[in-house]
Amino acid sequence: MKKVLASALSVLVMLGALAGCQQDKKAAPSAKPTESGASSAAKKDAVNLTIWYENDQKIGDALQAQLNDLSPDVKVTVQRKDKMTDSLKLVGNDPQSAPDMFFFAHDKTGLYAEMGILAPITDFISKDSLSDFIPMTLSAGTYKDTLYQLPIYFETQMFMYNKKLMSTPPKTTDDLLKFAQSNTKNGTYGFVEQHSTAYYAVSWIHAFGGYIIDKDAKPGLNLQGTVDSLKYHKQFVKYQPSDGDYNTMTALFKEGKAASTINLPNLAVDAKKAGIDVGFAPLPTVNSTGKQLSPYAGIQGVYVLKSSESGKKEAITSVLKALMKPEVGVAMSKITNDAPANNKAYSDASVSSNEIVMNLKNSADTVVPMSNVPAMDVMWSVTENMLSTVNKKGADPTTEAAKAQKNALSQIADMK
Amino acid sequence: MKKKSCRPYLYLAPSIAVIGLIVIFPILYTGYISLTNMNIYHWFHPEFVGLQNYAKAIFVFDSGFLSALLRTVLWTGINMVLQMVVAYIIAVLLNTEGLRAHKFYKTILMFPWAMPGYVSILLWKMGMFNNEYGLLNQWLGKLGLNGVRWLDGNVSAFLSCTMVNLWLALPFMIMIIDGALQSVDKSYYESATLDGAGFFTKLGKITIPLVRPVIAPAVVITIFTTFKQFDIVYLLTQQQGSKTGADIHTVITYTYEKAFVTNNYGYSAAVSVLIFLLLILFSMFTNKELKEGYR
Repeated sequence: MKKVLASALSVLVMLGALAGCQQDKKAAPSAKPTESGASSAAKKDAVNLTIWYENDQKIGDALQAQLNDLSPDVKVTVQRKDKMTDSLKLVGNDPQSAPDMFFFAHDKTGLYAEMGILAPITDFISKDSLSDFIPMTLSAGTYKDTLYQLPIYFETQMFMYNKKLMSTPPKTTDDLLKFAQSNTKNGTYGFVEQHSTAYYAVSWIHAFGGYIIDKDAKPGLNLQGTVDSLKYHKQFVKYQPSDGDYNTMTALFKEGKAASTINLPNLAVDAKKAGIDVGFAPLPTVNSTGKQLSPYAGIQGVYVLKSSESGKKEAITSVLKALMKPEVGVAMSKITNDAPANNKAYSDASVSSNEIVMNLKNSADTVVPMSNVPAMDVMWSVTENMLSTVNKKGADPTTEAAKAQKNALSQIADMK
Repeated sequence: MKKKSCRPYLYLAPSIAVIGLIVIFPILYTGYISLTNMNIYHWFHPEFVGLQNYAKAIFVFDSGFLSALLRTVLWTGINMVLQMVVAYIIAVLLNTEGLRAHKFYKTILMFPWAMPGYVSILLWKMGMFNNEYGLLNQWLGKLGLNGVRWLDGNVSAFLSCTMVNLWLALPFMIMIIDGALQSVDKSYYESATLDGAGFFTKLGKITIPLVRPVIAPAVVITIFTTFKQFDIVYLLTQQQGSKTGADIHTVITYTYEKAFVTNNYGYSAAVSVLIFLLLILFSMFTNKELKEGYR
């Protein structure tokens, strides 16, 4: 009896162990595409579409609210997905497991396009219909002359200051440096930023004519402009906490221990909540080049997966058309304080009266969309190594820039 | 007879299936990927490229890799010695006769083990080592001293990482040594005391020989965990967005930065297989040493 029981248990345990390997058909988020020759009764059936996103739940809820009107013809499920980048790599070409569309920042456009999982959005909507959109937001989602992303809103860094500690915001970087020199003492700082992070330091690099990587995936870390920016920017680092990390810098500003900073809009919102009287000003201009600091911009928008293109074209088109409406940008900006990609959204009072959003909008001509080439993935780390070695360990900018360029080229070669 | 010989395999089948799925299959699959050109340009339909990735991966073993390897050996050695010594002292103290509330102390000492490693490391980073808000620099400030950039310099960052590793690893080692000490028959010590043996004689002649077989497997496990430690070094000094400038790469963090960020899975798999072989060699060497030690 014992032996029979042991054998039965062994079989059960093995089956249990292997049960996880079966494909969960219920988990498939979208229905199979409708056959073209389907009956009229089938045509009346609602088309189910799934959109993945990774951001805050509020953003997903707002998207869902905008798309509920498409029901009953098109039923859209906006679904939050952790580690969406990895999930898309694994199942991006599998119609059973992949979503039909996803909402994400533009910087992975090249990666997914090269993997072959994206459908151009111009397969569904004409480029002319996007004439109301800010050109920078459209160029961000374009890879190798093909538009893959429908932009919804964008965010970038802005100069913000504590009105109690800074009466007049500086117009030039030399003025900012003088202010930092004379106002950094006893645990308070004139100016703080994430000085050794590529995403933040790039605004200085751009203002000196350098860049991290161009649209042809050529790194520019050893360009004269990049090296000059490292040398000049190093002077500011002396008057800031050496950590230069997000938590330290934002905490200093929110606690009223830093007079000014360059950061993303949500810091301004948090600082206001913490009781700081926050002012906004255009990013200062570098005296020697006459160019304004130009940070990276991140554009959030919607992509269509190639695996869903056939059979659902009409439904996907209707979703894209719904998301093109200015109301979507308005709804999003109310939640995120980011700037809508559609120019028409700015005629709405809630947008035009939002100081943060209007500041972002006004910087749209000077900001640079983050590079969307796949090679950008290796550039973050290489650039940050260079910045931290120069800023935190006092290494020579020229030597480090040359080393970083060599490293970047080797890693880009290793990608292929 | 034949029926009898099949039964043990049937009983073992679930375990073998699970081990096959979660241990053997990933290793074999990694080996397969390492022979293909699986990267973002050939993501879903990779082609067989033979040993090309290995030819490329060999270049990872450059001067940077060699210094990372030496640093990893040093890191493993220092951490092991510290863990053994500190854990032994604490375990002996916990076994002091007449110690009150020793169970409470044991529970407190197990606390670092109960916390997720990732959280502990980031707490150390922000709460202790942060130049501005960290407790260590706050103390130095109160004493009128200048703050130290704990994670910026190579030496200070290495020591800081060692400190965190010690904090995270001690509970396991204390538990093992404590258990081993409790398994030693007290009558040996009583006889030794009657014979006039001192503390060090008892340690060398009774304690170490008797606890060694119990501790040895734990030491081997910890050597491997320490050798392939990634989280502590990466999160404290190399984390994207808060790199500190310290170059204290271990073998794993170095290869991660050189290979795994490239999205070239074929190449990364080849590097992984080479590191796997390196660890197998290390394991064979350690096992040999251990067996010789028993004799």
